[in-house]
Amino acid sequence: MMVVLRVLVRQPLHGYAIAQRIRQLSSDELSVEEGSLYPALQKLLVKGWVKATWRESDSGRQVREYRITAGGKQQLEAEIGEYRRMTGAIDLLLKEA
Amino acid sequence: MAIIREWLRRIGYLLRRRAMEDELLREMEAHRVEMDDPRAFGNTLRLREEARDAWGWNWLDDLVLDMRFAWRTLRHSPGFTITAVATLALGIGVNIGMFSLVNGLLLRPLYDRPGEVVGIYNRQTGAEGGARGVSYPDYLDLQEGTAGIFETLVASSTTFVALDLGEGPRRTMASAVTANYFQLFDRPLMLGRTFTADEARLGADGRVAIISFALWDRRGGSPFIVGRTLRLNGDEFTVIGVASKGFTGTGIPGPEIWLPLGRGFDSREAHELTVVGRLRPDASMDTVGPMLATAGRRLEQAFPDVNTGYTFEMSAPSRLLFMPGPSNRAVNTLISLVLMVMPAIVLLVACLNLADLLLARGHVRQRELAIRSSLGGGRGRLTRQLLTEGVLLAFAGGAVGLFLSGWATGALAASLRPVLPAAVDLPDLDLDWRVLVGTVGFSLMASLVFGAWPAWSLTGRAAAIDLKRRINEEGRRLGSVTIGNALVIGQVALSVLLLACGGLFLMSAKSAASADPGFQLDGGILVEIDPSLAGYDETRARQSQLALVDRLRTIPGVEAVTIGSSLPFSSFGDSRKVAPAGLAQSTPVDSVFSAIGRDYARVLGLPMIAGRDFTEAELIPGASEPAAIIDDMLAQQLWPGESALGRLIQFADAEGTGAGRSMRVVGIMTSVKHSLSNPRPFPHVYVPLGQHYEDVMTLQLRTANETSAAEIVATIARVITQVDARVPVLRLQTWRDHLDTGFDTWVYRAGARVFSAFGAIALLLAVIGVYGVKSYVVSRRTREFGIRIATGAHPRALVWQVMREGSRITAVGIGIGLVLALGAGQLLQGFLYGVRGFEPLVLVTAPLILLASSLMASYIPALRATRVDPTVALRSE
Repeated sequence: MMVVLRVLVRQPLHGYAIAQRIRQLSSDELSVEEGSLYPALQKLLVKGWVKATWRESDSGRQVREYRITAGGKQQLEAEIGEYRRMTGAIDLLLKEA
Repeated sequence: MAIIREWLRRIGYLLRRRAMEDELLREMEAHRVEMDDPRAFGNTLRLREEARDAWGWNWLDDLVLDMRFAWRTLRHSPGFTITAVATLALGIGVNIGMFSLVNGLLLRPLYDRPGEVVGIYNRQTGAEGGARGVSYPDYLDLQEGTAGIFETLVASSTTFVALDLGEGPRRTMASAVTANYFQLFDRPLMLGRTFTADEARLGADGRVAIISFALWDRRGGSPFIVGRTLRLNGDEFTVIGVASKGFTGTGIPGPEIWLPLGRGFDSREAHELTVVGRLRPDASMDTVGPMLATAGRRLEQAFPDVNTGYTFEMSAPSRLLFMPGPSNRAVNTLISLVLMVMPAIVLLVACLNLADLLLARGHVRQRELAIRSSLGGGRGRLTRQLLTEGVLLAFAGGAVGLFLSGWATGALAASLRPVLPAAVDLPDLDLDWRVLVGTVGFSLMASLVFGAWPAWSLTGRAAAIDLKRRINEEGRRLGSVTIGNALVIGQVALSVLLLACGGLFLMSAKSAASADPGFQLDGGILVEIDPSLAGYDETRARQSQLALVDRLRTIPGVEAVTIGSSLPFSSFGDSRKVAPAGLAQSTPVDSVFSAIGRDYARVLGLPMIAGRDFTEAELIPGASEPAAIIDDMLAQQLWPGESALGRLIQFADAEGTGAGRSMRVVGIMTSVKHSLSNPRPFPHVYVPLGQHYEDVMTLQLRTANETSAAEIVATIARVITQVDARVPVLRLQTWRDHLDTGFDTWVYRAGARVFSAFGAIALLLAVIGVYGVKSYVVSRRTREFGIRIATGAHPRALVWQVMREGSRITAVGIGIGLVLALGAGQLLQGFLYGVRGFEPLVLVTAPLILLASSLMASYIPALRATRVDPTVALRSE
């Protein structure tokens, strides 16, 4: 979920675009079942961290575009902070041990 | 805030779920179309399910499904459902019913902001000073002196009156109240207005009345009642208002009529008022005591002859009309707890019973559960399904129980009424929601625990194996039978307890009814009359009383007739402090006081020990030297070891008839008891009719034993009408009926009735329990019985075996129940009459009833065991 929010920070995207973006950025390392993106998006919607609107895509199809909200940005920052602390602690542990 | 918004969004999803699912599907399809390899997308069905899960409503869908399924299953086994619901309903119903009564009578505050309301008592200073009421003039002075601390200070006095609504007078209760009385309550009248200050001023003669809602309702509930008239004690009163429903005023039970306080209360010596006040919100508790004491001291100085030695004290206002002292919340709570024990036991039995039923049912459904679990039904899911069934049962039981409770409250309240001396109003006996929630919660818990437990244990390990060899798991089967047995043992024990208590009260009632009152009961008839209700003054009333005595004496079959102002074994009595005349230092003896006519001893069948009866002349006021007859008990206490005959006595009371006047003792009579619960005789002093006047008198007749009571009662009624049709007869009954309707007897009767009723319900439940467990055991052992029949076992042997096993658990239950009953007997000792807590007859009968019923309950399943067709039984494997 953190990843999805991070991708949406730069610009609003629809589902397929989000999946592609994640694949590109992670050089296919993080590619899982693409469909599992949708339960995650539904959770973000319920939490109010993203908003969705239907619009016509460049290829002329109806797509649902997701846009991060202020609450979503806050959540992302909190999660990144948490993640940094965690990895920092693990790094430290690995170096010192 | 975030949480609330999140929930709002979730609810939005729930409301527009079709559209949302549609959107999701379209979106996912669009995604798949773009992909080079749509298979990498994953299982769309599962993903949609997961996405829906994020909305958080899947449990609701499951619940709806479970509810529907539970409803279908329950409908398909009506026997089980009806039994379970009825069991719960009984348990819940009797609890709510009893609590509503206890709450209304003893617990629920009579006032809004009850903490501010206090009772004011006029207490004698000194170590063991008694409390008395307050006189109207004293009340007015008190009100003036304490205006700084009391927002409202009211006074009232409740007495009997004769109410005539155009169908002849009947006796009822009326409260004379101050004009501000209704301000104490935040409950406006239903109709009309309250009393004006002028109507209730000292010495006023306001002929206006406010009637109770119940009286108004019984009389047709006309909206035009205000302005109509009714007759009270022969005088006409105008109805100015109707109290609100359930309004009882400052005491329970409430009167039917409120009158303005005024007429007849002018004397500073008539200490008859009950005073209740509401403190000002800003009044500090510390200032109240000293302020009351100051007011008391001022009254003491101003009116030393009536107020010396008395001060004002504040305490909790009295609640029950017939217990005029300060009410004690702790005591009321204690009584309530004692009263609630019985229905609580019934609820416990009901829950045990329900547990039994659910356990047995769980095992019957073992096969179904095994199949469902092997088809992929998760353990949690199956358990939840059974839980839903339990919840449904508990709520159905609660609903029916609620219905039953109204009826139970009515029945309990109705059993209270006959003992009350007049038609009165009970407070609203409303349902208390806390109790409803409590009892339903309790049964919910029972049904959940015992409904879910089999599901959990059955769906656990090796469900599939169980499907094939469900009978072979001997160990587990025995385990659950043991639990079932333990539940039945508990039920039987509690039933024995309740039945035994019922038996003890039943015996008390019987021995109270056959108690020897110390005088001859049979052939005694009582006629209570009140000539003043016909508007007669003292002279006319006296003539009427004596004329009736003379005329009744001439009825064939009547052996003797007398008249008296107080009656043994009645709820009300008059008393005097008697002392030898002229001996100031001797302590006066508290004695029952009665003004009587001639032949009193003869009518009661008591021998005169010494001296003579009163003469005809002594029945006329002021005609002769003051005389008295005392009983030998009083004689012994006044002049121990000496003859009291011919000596002078006087009453030491400051007030009342003959205070300070010497009377010569002309006769000594045998002592009589005065109440059943206090079997010791009480000293008595009798004065001739001429020395004391009372409106309400009781004519007492002795009839020859061979005459039929009903016949002679009818004759007496006719004769009284002939002599003077205007004199209202308040009561006409045999001595035995009088004893039977007395308060003491009522306590035992009510105890017997309530305990027996609760005991019978518990017994019924226990029998259902025994039946359920036995049926279950027999159905589980079909194969065993089949084989035994096939190998030539005699059916009778099978029946015998099943019943023997049944009586074994019953016997254990009875044993435990007997121990409980012995303990309860000890606790109840103080409430019983003529019965010991350890009563062999009761301790034998109660278990026998249970044993017999439980044998019957196991007989039917036992018979079923013999009807097992061996081929069917074996093929079923």
